[in-house]
Amino acid sequence: MKKSGLLTLLALLLTWTVSIAQGIRVTGTVTSAEDGSSLPGVSIQVRGTTQGTQTDATGSYSISVPSSNSVLVFSFVGLGSREITVGNQTTINVQLTADTRALNEVVVTGFGAQARRNLTGNIAKIEGSSIQGVPVTTFEQALQGRAAGVQITSLNGKLGQGIQMRIRGSSSVTASNEPLYVIDGVPMTSNNQGTSTSPQNPLADINFNDIESIEILKDASAAAIYGARASNGVVLLTTKKGRSGKTRFNVGYQMGSSEPTRRREWLNTAEYVELYREAAQNSMDRGDLPANYMTSLESRFTRYAAGERANWEQGLINNNWEDHAFQKAPMGQLDLSASGGDNKTRFFVSGQYLDQKGILIKNTFKRLSGRVNLDHKANDNLTLGVNLNVARTQNGRLANDNAFSTPMQSVALPPMTPLIDPRTNQLSGNYTLYFNPILNRDYSSNISTSYRTLGNLYGEYRFTDWLKFRSEWGADLYTLNEDQYYGRETARNTGAPNGLGFSSFAQVTNYTTNNFFSLGHTFGEKHDIDGVIGTSFQRSDASYNQVEGREFPSNSYTRVTSAARITAGSSSGTNFSFLSYFARANYRFADKYLFTFSGRVDGSSRFGENNRYGFFPAVSAGWIISEESFMQALPSVSMLKLRASYGLTGNAEIGSINNFAAYGLYTGESGYAGTPGQSPSQIENPDLRWEQTAQTDVGIDFGFFGGRLSGEVDYYIKNTRDLLLNVNVPGTTGFRTQLRNIGRLENKGWEFVLNSQNTTGAFQWNTSLNLSGNRNKILDLDGQVITGGFNNRAVEGQPIGVFYEIEYAGVDPNNGDALYYLNTENTDGSVNRNTTNDPNLAQRVVLGNPNPTLIGGITNNFTYKGFELNILFQGQFGNMVYNGGGKFQSANGDFFDNQTRDQLNRWQKPGDITNVPQARLFGANGTAESSRYLQKADFVRLKTLTLGYTLPTALVNRAKLERVRVYVTGQNLLTFTNYTGWDPEVNADHLAGNIGLGNDFYSAPQARTIIVGVNLGF
Amino acid sequence: MLLTACDSQLDLKPVDTIDASAAVSTSGDVEGLLVGAYDSMSDIDLYGGNLLRNAELLGDNGEIFWDGTFVEPDEIFRKAVLVNNASLANTWLDAYRTINIANTVLANLEVVTEANRARVEGEAKFVRGAMYFELVRNFAKAWTDGNPANNAGVPLVLTPTSEINNDSRVSRATVAAVYTQVISDLTDAESKLPATNGIFATKWAAAGMLSRVYMMQERYADAANAATRVIDSGRFSLVPSEEVFDLRTNQSGITTPEDIFSIHITDQDGINELNTFFGGTSFGGRGDILIEDAHIEMYEPGDKRAELFYEDNGLYTVKFRNQYGNVKIMRLAEMYLTRAEANFRNNSAIGATPAEDINRIRTRAGLAPIAATSLTIADIMKERRLELAFEGHLIHDIKRTRGTVGSLPYTSPKLIFPIPRREIDANPNLTQNEGYL
Repeated sequence: MKKSGLLTLLALLLTWTVSIAQGIRVTGTVTSAEDGSSLPGVSIQVRGTTQGTQTDATGSYSISVPSSNSVLVFSFVGLGSREITVGNQTTINVQLTADTRALNEVVVTGFGAQARRNLTGNIAKIEGSSIQGVPVTTFEQALQGRAAGVQITSLNGKLGQGIQMRIRGSSSVTASNEPLYVIDGVPMTSNNQGTSTSPQNPLADINFNDIESIEILKDASAAAIYGARASNGVVLLTTKKGRSGKTRFNVGYQMGSSEPTRRREWLNTAEYVELYREAAQNSMDRGDLPANYMTSLESRFTRYAAGERANWEQGLINNNWEDHAFQKAPMGQLDLSASGGDNKTRFFVSGQYLDQKGILIKNTFKRLSGRVNLDHKANDNLTLGVNLNVARTQNGRLANDNAFSTPMQSVALPPMTPLIDPRTNQLSGNYTLYFNPILNRDYSSNISTSYRTLGNLYGEYRFTDWLKFRSEWGADLYTLNEDQYYGRETARNTGAPNGLGFSSFAQVTNYTTNNFFSLGHTFGEKHDIDGVIGTSFQRSDASYNQVEGREFPSNSYTRVTSAARITAGSSSGTNFSFLSYFARANYRFADKYLFTFSGRVDGSSRFGENNRYGFFPAVSAGWIISEESFMQALPSVSMLKLRASYGLTGNAEIGSINNFAAYGLYTGESGYAGTPGQSPSQIENPDLRWEQTAQTDVGIDFGFFGGRLSGEVDYYIKNTRDLLLNVNVPGTTGFRTQLRNIGRLENKGWEFVLNSQNTTGAFQWNTSLNLSGNRNKILDLDGQVITGGFNNRAVEGQPIGVFYEIEYAGVDPNNGDALYYLNTENTDGSVNRNTTNDPNLAQRVVLGNPNPTLIGGITNNFTYKGFELNILFQGQFGNMVYNGGGKFQSANGDFFDNQTRDQLNRWQKPGDITNVPQARLFGANGTAESSRYLQKADFVRLKTLTLGYTLPTALVNRAKLERVRVYVTGQNLLTFTNYTGWDPEVNADHLAGNIGLGNDFYSAPQARTIIVGVNLGF
Repeated sequence: MLLTACDSQLDLKPVDTIDASAAVSTSGDVEGLLVGAYDSMSDIDLYGGNLLRNAELLGDNGEIFWDGTFVEPDEIFRKAVLVNNASLANTWLDAYRTINIANTVLANLEVVTEANRARVEGEAKFVRGAMYFELVRNFAKAWTDGNPANNAGVPLVLTPTSEINNDSRVSRATVAAVYTQVISDLTDAESKLPATNGIFATKWAAAGMLSRVYMMQERYADAANAATRVIDSGRFSLVPSEEVFDLRTNQSGITTPEDIFSIHITDQDGINELNTFFGGTSFGGRGDILIEDAHIEMYEPGDKRAELFYEDNGLYTVKFRNQYGNVKIMRLAEMYLTRAEANFRNNSAIGATPAEDINRIRTRAGLAPIAATSLTIADIMKERRLELAFEGHLIHDIKRTRGTVGSLPYTSPKLIFPIPRREIDANPNLTQNEGYL
């Protein structure tokens, strides 16, 4: 009593002192009653005055009120408003009750945050919680099927492998089509830094259980604040923050295993012998092979059958080589976290250990990650904090899909070749048709270890109620160390008879600083203005070292230091910098009419002095129709918003090799036999400048029945001009390509998002659907021919990367010849659809599109009491896949590769109607690249299925726990497709690129993974 | 002030490369560039091996067997080359890259010190002449096929590229015009090059290359004279049969007194692409090109050269067994064989009689000499084939002697490589060779 009286006295005194000065200062935070998340943009008015402010990105506010009698009105449309008399309080924390979660969720916008209802741009948000526990190595894979307009493709089933993400299609032909990834304000190093042509994914270093939310900025209004980096969209990762209150601990463990989604069928020994005998006989009959060739063939069979005729003749050995490419693939993951804090200091700390084996032999992935996020309020005006993440990732890697040593290429070996050579009791070695890739399982290692430090330090100072300054200093330090050793047993592949060792080291230091003012003010109750203005600077320096040695004393020595001969070594580096000035203003009138203006000036070291800076503005507007009085007659419409945006974004991601593309360059890497030399390496282009994308987006946000049914519809047009093209120049100039700004392309598309709460009450069923269609079209390439993959091409009037090749016309029933349509132009302009058996005479035509025209995902979530069932289906449609391995795998016995079983349907006698030509050894009958190996690759996949059970609280509390959840999750459980290869989600890693799309080449299928897990909260 | 300071943060310099404007300012720079031309010429798709490999695969009449999986050489072996053959596209591109470097050297001769200028000019012209010679005889009709003054050769570019514009779309010069340029370059090179020049081109390399050019043109007296200049230089000598080729393994290449010009390979730099394809898997090769009985049966009993083969899951030639061995482009034995043939066809005895020259080669191989009176052109051609087997002469010898490959006449379009598709696409002024679309 005495104590509280004293406090009251003190408070009164303080109030009086402050009042004398300028009234009472009240601070606090506004949070959502539902989940405690902070609410930015909440309007706070002193009732009966024009005084007002709004909450900032963290939901905090500060306001001066005239007296203790003043009443503060907290309002946020869609939420119930609250009025609170100040009294003797100086801290007022308010909770507002939400009704429609989707429309009131807070969206991170880049240098700020906004309530979704006030948004005029298009931003997809994925809650971190929705992807937690998904058994994949990297967060992009977990996003598959969860955001409209976002296509995510794993190149193949190797762990730690690069991934392609396309947001609203491909906006460039030669520059990057990958989005900009920003974590807590720091642009990340996201492109491959390894030495292999099979790209390694630096984003796999991220423990995605640390992620609070992922925002994908898609339209110009949302993304233009990232200016020249934003044409491909921006992915913002925001990590978890501590919340004041009791310290909460979380422990999670999950374990399970993976297997390939599909296997293929190959010939057994008897079928193989039959087919190849026939193939040889046919070629002999045609005079293409000597009349006595059958003897050579049989001795070849015997050679492949480990020297024993009976092994093939009687089928004693019947080896399915595909079996040996795969391994048992267990995984285990342990997560620990703690969060909490008080009013001044909040923290979140976490740790993760993931240990996973891939489905392919030697493919492993281990991640050890730790994080500390700390926020401290030094005083009413100053907040500071740090986010720090340290991670170590160890990836047991494999050669690219084109390498003989990659496990999947074992399928090429004849079935009569045993895994173990009975003559030596060792793995079959030099006598096999090709290098036996299983040798690499036992006699090689290829380990990439990355060390990642992602750090971000910030200080935020509040000058007045409506003005703040924030300074962020971030660093992304990435080092990648590759150690490889190939023993003497693999000499046939490496060419190194006594072992080959390789070591490389890449270091990328990437510094960023963002300094910006944030403003937010409400005028006369009806005018809300907020905005940011600031500057950003980024510099990235990379350095690379590598060394190769040969001649090792034995396989026990695997580091280059033991090599008797150092055969190669290099060190190199590159760098780039960006200097940017940006501003954004949001104006809201009467909570109904919304306007956003944003702009950014970007300068980059990548361009010549003439065109170094670019300006990227955007405007957008929104009209919340449901706030209009005439809508009151339609109470079932809880939300209806019309929005539109237009703006420019840029693309400067021309790859580290092109960091200095504007200059004429010489390289010193031209020594000859020990004598130093130099040579021209690049022809100059001083006019090189940004690629520019103008994007228009119109959309509707809607909500019905109190928000039980809500969604978005968008239509957009993205026009990209001044394409940064690596233009093929006449080779007679001494150069191959030149980077130029030539040409235009467009992406047009629509997106549809629907969220529905199908039932309420004890049994809850929610459905979330996203569908999107994108049509990419190359408008102008100035006649340039730009190719990739096996036969992908950029063709004017066509989507990027169309398959451009000759058209297979099936088999001539009379003679078994593979036929191709001529497709040449007749004199009257029509197309000659006659056929030829000479592929050189057939005209190449556009055969198909590697880009899906429709992608989507549907999630159904059921909860009943403690049970929850979550089912995600993902699909893509309208795209095709080219199997570049077809000419070896399904070549009707052209060479000695084992064949897919469908080749048994070959033409054998006149009149046979089949699609498989006559078997002709060395006959190249139908093996030319053609539409024979092109297929539709539409698929629908049961991507993720989770069944969970949260134990009753009463039970759990008895064990001093707060929460116990057990679950089982399956990833890629079912795939529905007509594609006959391993997996329709594929893009052979050595060919993947902007143009190289939809190619399959001995690419491993995705993994089907089943795990069980438990989460404990206490 | 602050803005200027910030702006300067955008002025970054490349780390690994240097600005072209500062690259060629001293004599040392130009000489470094010249080394760059050799480096470029040593590329795998040029003298690093594939030019030679392709001549053997394309001209083969059953002496070898392509057992590999690489599509490009397979097409060549089957005489079914596609216009998108990547290896051949690289041959084209790298040859012109080499030519552009040589052109840049020649355009900057005034920077070179007086003492080195003639040599540098001679070397650059040797490189350029050799490259145009290879381009024209691989991508255009042979001299012996129709009228060289009308047949399309390859584009002739004789100045360095400083920018890329419409003038960069150069049309094909005639076969005759390209040969004229080749002879002019090599003649100039021969006069300006020194007699010895380390591992680089000498006067004799230029003369030897000229002898090849004249043989393609059936100018036998000129060929015999050029070969004689090499032989009479006294700088080269035949070594014992078992020492001609580098039989060591995995060691940097060495030269023998017989070598006139080689691409030098070390374990640090350069790839002997002939080892890649002709070498067995135990010796760093892919074991793709097997030697067939048909070839072995051509050797007379007692021929030491019949022993220059080894078994490694198939029969291989020892010529390219050392993974880091040099790629021999020209050796003295060829000069004797060329002179013998030229004199025989010319009915002359420039330098020596055909029998004298042929018997020098036969004697070294441990064979009995052939009497001058019984010597035939077939003897000479067979000797040439056996001595120079797999060294990159086959298809060109067939074309200049109007021979056949299987059922294909030497004029068959299938024996001429297509202009690479990427080049046709990038330069609409180019015409494609017959038989390719």
